[in-house]
Amino acid sequence: MLWVALISICLVFFVLVLLVYVMKLFGWIFTRKPQQAPAAVKPVVQGQLHEEEIAAIATALKLYKGALHDRESEVLTILSIKRAYSPWNSKIHGLTQLPDRK
Amino acid sequence: MWTLLTSNSNFVGESLMKFVESTGIVGFFSSMGWGSVVMIFVAFFLLYLAIRHKFEPLLLFTIAFGMLLTNLPGANLYHTELFAGGHVHWDIFVANAGLLDYLYLGVKLGIYPCLIFVGVGAMTDFGPLIANPKSFLLGAAAQIGIFVTFLGAYALGFTPAQAGSIGIIGGADGPTAIYLTSMLSPELLGPIAVAAYSYMALVPVIQPPIMRALTTKKERAIRMRTLRPVSKLERILFPLIIAVIIALLLPSAAPLIGCLMLGNLMKECGVVDRLSKTVQNELMNIVVIFLGLTVGATATAEAFLNVRTLGILVLGVLAFAMGTASGVLLAKLMNLFAKEENKINPLIGSAGVSAVPMAARVSQTEGQKENPGNYLLMHAMGPNVAGVVGSAVAAGILLSFLG
Repeated sequence: MLWVALISICLVFFVLVLLVYVMKLFGWIFTRKPQQAPAAVKPVVQGQLHEEEIAAIATALKLYKGALHDRESEVLTILSIKRAYSPWNSKIHGLTQLPDRK
Repeated sequence: MWTLLTSNSNFVGESLMKFVESTGIVGFFSSMGWGSVVMIFVAFFLLYLAIRHKFEPLLLFTIAFGMLLTNLPGANLYHTELFAGGHVHWDIFVANAGLLDYLYLGVKLGIYPCLIFVGVGAMTDFGPLIANPKSFLLGAAAQIGIFVTFLGAYALGFTPAQAGSIGIIGGADGPTAIYLTSMLSPELLGPIAVAAYSYMALVPVIQPPIMRALTTKKERAIRMRTLRPVSKLERILFPLIIAVIIALLLPSAAPLIGCLMLGNLMKECGVVDRLSKTVQNELMNIVVIFLGLTVGATATAEAFLNVRTLGILVLGVLAFAMGTASGVLLAKLMNLFAKEENKINPLIGSAGVSAVPMAARVSQTEGQKENPGNYLLMHAMGPNVAGVVGSAVAAGILLSFLG
């Protein structure tokens, strides 16, 4: 029975490793970008761009900037603020004192 | 006239006696009558767990009610003798069968688990697995628990077929466990189904201590690289490719994998929305009722109340634990060979034991305990759905070796 168990484990791994490679090949086919000859770069003269091109560039920049966000520590902290006492910011001295009836 | 009416007093007495003997209450005093009482209380306990604590209620509820019905003496809803020896006795079937006997044919012939897999396929998103195919390895590693438990059960005196059925509990996949057990050792179907679904409900209790024991704080805090987007064409081709490859390599796993991928293709192709919704909802719900009731019906006092059941429960939890541990350990091993930016958080390895999506949620929760900004859920869904494929492959292998 030990051999049955060992062969079975090996078969499970064999089938699933085969699937890993099939899926990797699959992913490679779908994610590779078509090879294109680099087009000759033409100098852009200001004012030559169409309105649609400007809109497309602006949208792409907006989407790119929108996707960017900075990484924070994600730890929320509430800092207690300590102030030295001063009669200038004392609330009691800022209020109008009512006359004491004696 | 009066004499005529009262002359058949013997007949009346006999009829009354017959009636009293036919009631279930007398059945409690017959042989194994005490067992029926115990089983009724077990059914009540499982109903309590399902209703009060929501332990896999969709299945545990129906299993418990089936268990209750089958253990009511005299109800004659289910007859073990019609399925004795692992096959259906058609010659006496129609004359003796009760309601649950007819419904049980769907389990016996392997129909219900496959229909459930159609629904599971239609509800599963294989995107994370397509984006990160290495998840298949974690799904494979988590199946090691099945085979270690198989050896343990065999060493404890179970037959090879019974040991294989007990081992499959470690796959944490209810329909697969039921499918394999109904083929290999139908006499253990009740205890194995109860153990499998109970432990699946207990995944958040069983897995975290093992995951924490096998990983360091630093490993648990690993952030994984964002998965690449998966195109619709890839999603459509995936079920076709997997179904063809596995059916060619392992024809015994073809019913389960074929149905799983059929359901998934229905969802992903987008042109049969009505069918996809039907298999996810109506069909799935109807089959769950039939499956639960009939699997519960196999848990008769004779089949359930013995030391063997206790052994199955203990071995089942060990299978789960070992599956979890081997998934985590393989993820750690993979990290030894991975570049820094491709490191895997070992917590997602435990999700390789199917139990979709509970096991993936456990990985997410444990990961967030170390690093609140770490979102592992989608990464864990890869091994999680790979585990479904892996356990079906393991069941197919066991079926072809031991069937």
